[in-house]
Amino acid sequence: MKLKRRDFIKAAGLTALTISLPASKVIVDSIRREEAKGASLAPEVRWVKTYCGMCGALCGIEVLVNYGRPAGVRPILGHPQPGLCGRSSSLKWLWDSPLRLKKPMKRVGERGEARFVEVDWDTALNEIASKLRSIVEKYGYKAIAITHHDVWSYYMPLFSYLLGTPNVISHVSMCHANGTVARGHVLGAGGPPTIDPDYENASYLLLIGRTLSTASMGVVNRATSNEKLRIVVVDPRMPEVGFGNVEWVPIIPGTDAAFVLSLIHVIIEEGLYDAEFLKRYTNAPFLIKPDESPLTEADIIEGGDTRKYLVWDLKVNGLVDHKAAADPDLLYTGKVKLKDDREIDVKTAFILLKERASKYKPEEAEKITGVDARTIRRIAREFALYRGVADDTWYTAKNGNDYDNVRAILILNTLIGNIDKPGGLCYAESARFPSIITVRTIEGKRYAETVYDARMPEELFGDVGAPRVDRVKYRLTPSTFDAILDAIIKEDPYPIKALFVIGTSPIMRDMNTSKVIEAYKKLDLLVIINILPQEDVDYADYVLPDTIFLERDEIRSTKWTLHASVQVENRVIIPPEGYDVRDALWVMFEIVRRAFPERAVALGWSSEYANYKKYEEEFLHKLNEGIISKLVATWKLDKEAFTRELNEKGYYILKRKEYYVRPYKTALGTPSGKIEIYSLTALANKLDPLPDYSPPPAYTLPKAPNEFYLVNGKGPLTSVHASLMEPMKYVGDRSIWMNPRDAERLGIRDGDLIELEGIDTRAKAVARVKVTNRVREGVLFVYSQMWGRRSKLLPQNHFAREGINPHWFSKDYVVPIVGGGASNSSVRVRKL
Amino acid sequence: MRLAYLWDSTKCIACMACVVSCAGSNYSEIMRFEEPNPMMKWLGGNIRVVIREVGRPELRLVSCFHCDKPPCVLVCPTRASHIDRDTGLVLLDETKCIGCKACIVACPYGARWLHPTTLLPEKCPGPVCIDIIRGGRKPICVSVCPANARDFGDIDDPNSSISIKISKSKSERPLELLGTEPKYFIVKG
Ligand code: SF4
Ligand code: SF4
Ligand code: SF4
Ligand code: SF4
Repeated sequence: MKLKRRDFIKAAGLTALTISLPASKVIVDSIRREEAKGASLAPEVRWVKTYCGMCGALCGIEVLVNYGRPAGVRPILGHPQPGLCGRSSSLKWLWDSPLRLKKPMKRVGERGEARFVEVDWDTALNEIASKLRSIVEKYGYKAIAITHHDVWSYYMPLFSYLLGTPNVISHVSMCHANGTVARGHVLGAGGPPTIDPDYENASYLLLIGRTLSTASMGVVNRATSNEKLRIVVVDPRMPEVGFGNVEWVPIIPGTDAAFVLSLIHVIIEEGLYDAEFLKRYTNAPFLIKPDESPLTEADIIEGGDTRKYLVWDLKVNGLVDHKAAADPDLLYTGKVKLKDDREIDVKTAFILLKERASKYKPEEAEKITGVDARTIRRIAREFALYRGVADDTWYTAKNGNDYDNVRAILILNTLIGNIDKPGGLCYAESARFPSIITVRTIEGKRYAETVYDARMPEELFGDVGAPRVDRVKYRLTPSTFDAILDAIIKEDPYPIKALFVIGTSPIMRDMNTSKVIEAYKKLDLLVIINILPQEDVDYADYVLPDTIFLERDEIRSTKWTLHASVQVENRVIIPPEGYDVRDALWVMFEIVRRAFPERAVALGWSSEYANYKKYEEEFLHKLNEGIISKLVATWKLDKEAFTRELNEKGYYILKRKEYYVRPYKTALGTPSGKIEIYSLTALANKLDPLPDYSPPPAYTLPKAPNEFYLVNGKGPLTSVHASLMEPMKYVGDRSIWMNPRDAERLGIRDGDLIELEGIDTRAKAVARVKVTNRVREGVLFVYSQMWGRRSKLLPQNHFAREGINPHWFSKDYVVPIVGGGASNSSVRVRKL
Repeated sequence: MRLAYLWDSTKCIACMACVVSCAGSNYSEIMRFEEPNPMMKWLGGNIRVVIREVGRPELRLVSCFHCDKPPCVLVCPTRASHIDRDTGLVLLDETKCIGCKACIVACPYGARWLHPTTLLPEKCPGPVCIDIIRGGRKPICVSVCPANARDFGDIDDPNSSISIKISKSKSERPLELLGTEPKYFIVKG
């Protein structure tokens, strides 16, 4: 038998270059080959169903485990939200990456110098605990804050009670906050996955500032399995889907609202809207008084009901409660006599929308958006005639006017009545997943009760009930991290002295990097729990190495599907030898057990769990059992059959999507229970009840020939973790995109270096230009949360140091009341 | 049986799952090299990414296209590069290869690259995929694609999923003018 060269070299392991590879690596391929031939796998080699945690989308994946190492990944077929993407494909590199944080570390140099010594877990946890105690003594529990991303987010409410602080504030202002507030106001919905286009049945999909490929490959899977779907993307840069058979409409940054209002105008003018739908299921026929508030029964009858919204009923030719009206008039204007005999003018919300949209006739909108009037008209007609659906957006922390963009988009869908219907914008079924902690009153006393039945009495709540620093400033915000920075720097509204950064990187994530760093330097205690040396680590007092998702056991609801579904994450593998890492959940309990033992005990922790094995075997078991038993009770399931199927398939569908429910049979979470094209919540919060366009307030608009919009966005590789992995050196794009016409004008060629200077922040950086038609004239584009790494813990020649972090150039603009951030900016360009 | 590949350019979202998985699974022994594929300055894997910028940018994923008239086979002095009788795929018999690199130069698509330690002229299918294919399954790039953009199968069988897709869509083969008769179909609409 001839020995093949490949096998020879592997078997001998003789080249110097392969020495660094552990022996088990060498057998991966041969075992995989056995499996491919249909041979049954050795027990040490198996496919394990789990879900991906490389981004927050949690797609269903299977991991090939080969003698304890991840050796391959594939999507779980049939999963309501199957993977995969370039990020998950690189998890093989992540697990035993030499970059992974391996031991707890303690700062010995100045903040930012990244000089650390390794310490054991006990030392790190004890020291953190004693610092926390003295901070709490001086400033109270509320001086502690946590920021996080999707990793560990389920446990955050528990951490809030554990530490006694309200200030658990996520990444959301830099992601979907503006859109989420808008979804609440118009549709009574929540975060991005709570409503979604029915991609597999849609016929015409408008993606406005939304890229399908950013995350959630289940969405991609559904859209691409739909052979009749036409896609139109509206974006200053061509996102990855643009390579396919889609129409790309390059728009001027920050002008989406004008574009969408123009579509609305055309649809109303040409009578392409669904009048029946608007009359019955929306507040379009509500009569609006000159003071902008809706006319209610209380206005005309003494002791009338303020929740009875009046409309003009064409059937009886009179004012009737909307709920009782037979034929509400959409176009009514007239005079109404109030209970005090005053006469006022009223008109319908629909007329107000019509008037608003008429400011944006296509020819006017063309001047603002740079999209020609004919294209606007055509898209409006196509959208209405094909019964299109406009995606409700995801990443909306862009220009500071995004809240209005999203409201306009939701109203556009509403106009043609394509809501909760096959192929329309649909409400996702809820898995009614149990919260980790809920407050209950038992015999007149309040308790915080965990999903695993531990009870913390009210007197231990600490400052949980205190106002959260972001909600003090931005009443409606889901989460605004910038407020934490203000609380640290200016002690406004009160001081924050300790910050836990868990599984996220504010330096890569948040606007205005220099402000983040300034705040870090002012803290009394900065603890970072992460898996890789993100730049934030350089400023930490303590760095605690976290597990990666393959090393955990969890149950979650499935995101990004219209079905109600849950899925499991299996402890696929254990951490590599020498990587002394711990779950953040264990870490937080162990810190609190040492700092405030009574708090940890009240929440079901015992000192036995200090033993990590006991934690894994007993505490996690108790927790997951708690979740399972609550799901079993809520859905009336057979526990054994449920857990068996969940483990075999990796997911369990609790309820398939039922169409025509909201708003048809079930009232929405809006004040009127209807879709509110005229938002009463906005009105109550002194915001314009109708969407409008205003120029981006977040940055100075570019004017001079060498000034540009700097827009950033995400793609299928976006991840602060994955972007550090070896494959990204080749497939990750670290350039800054410039349109060929701009390049020619400035004498810049593909591959040239340019200097960028922030017009507002004055920050300067050098980047390599890619001259490409994938970006509109006058606009530069970069991928965000990927490049421009500056951690001193990264090797000096690491490729992720190249490129820029767009947040170096963005100000700290936060949308008033709504609380979303804005990460685009404007820059001056100089050829080097 | 003639096995062929299909890539649907109308669906691909450039997610890089195929590109990265191909490298990680077929060539894990070099995945942490500083330069796994110095010849191409690329991943140690069989798929390259090319973006063509004439007017509207176009994406191409380049790998071995399994020509029916393969220049690499024609130039190979030892018949190490050959068309496999069972599958119709262009394969390499490692025991015969003398490392002359003629095939690398001859391939008009730049599909072959030099493995940094074995010095073999690597190409698709890689060692793991060959075995997966011999086991009667679809190779890694096809099984990982989230966008339904890839397929693989027998074009001599009119009922195979790939034959059905080819017959139902407009497709072309890379640089057809060269007369290499690739067994790789790019769906265009
Ligand atoms: S989109 Fe990619 S990275 Fe995100 S969860 Fe899905 S497979 Fe993982
Ligand atoms: S390098 Fe090997 S396979 Fe290629 S032409 Fe030379 S002998 Fe043939
Ligand atoms: S068949 Fe295998 S080797 Fe060929 S491109 Fe696909 S993944 Fe790579
Ligand atoms: S896996 Fe599919 S969608 Fe992703 S790059 Fe490859 S062909 Fe395109």
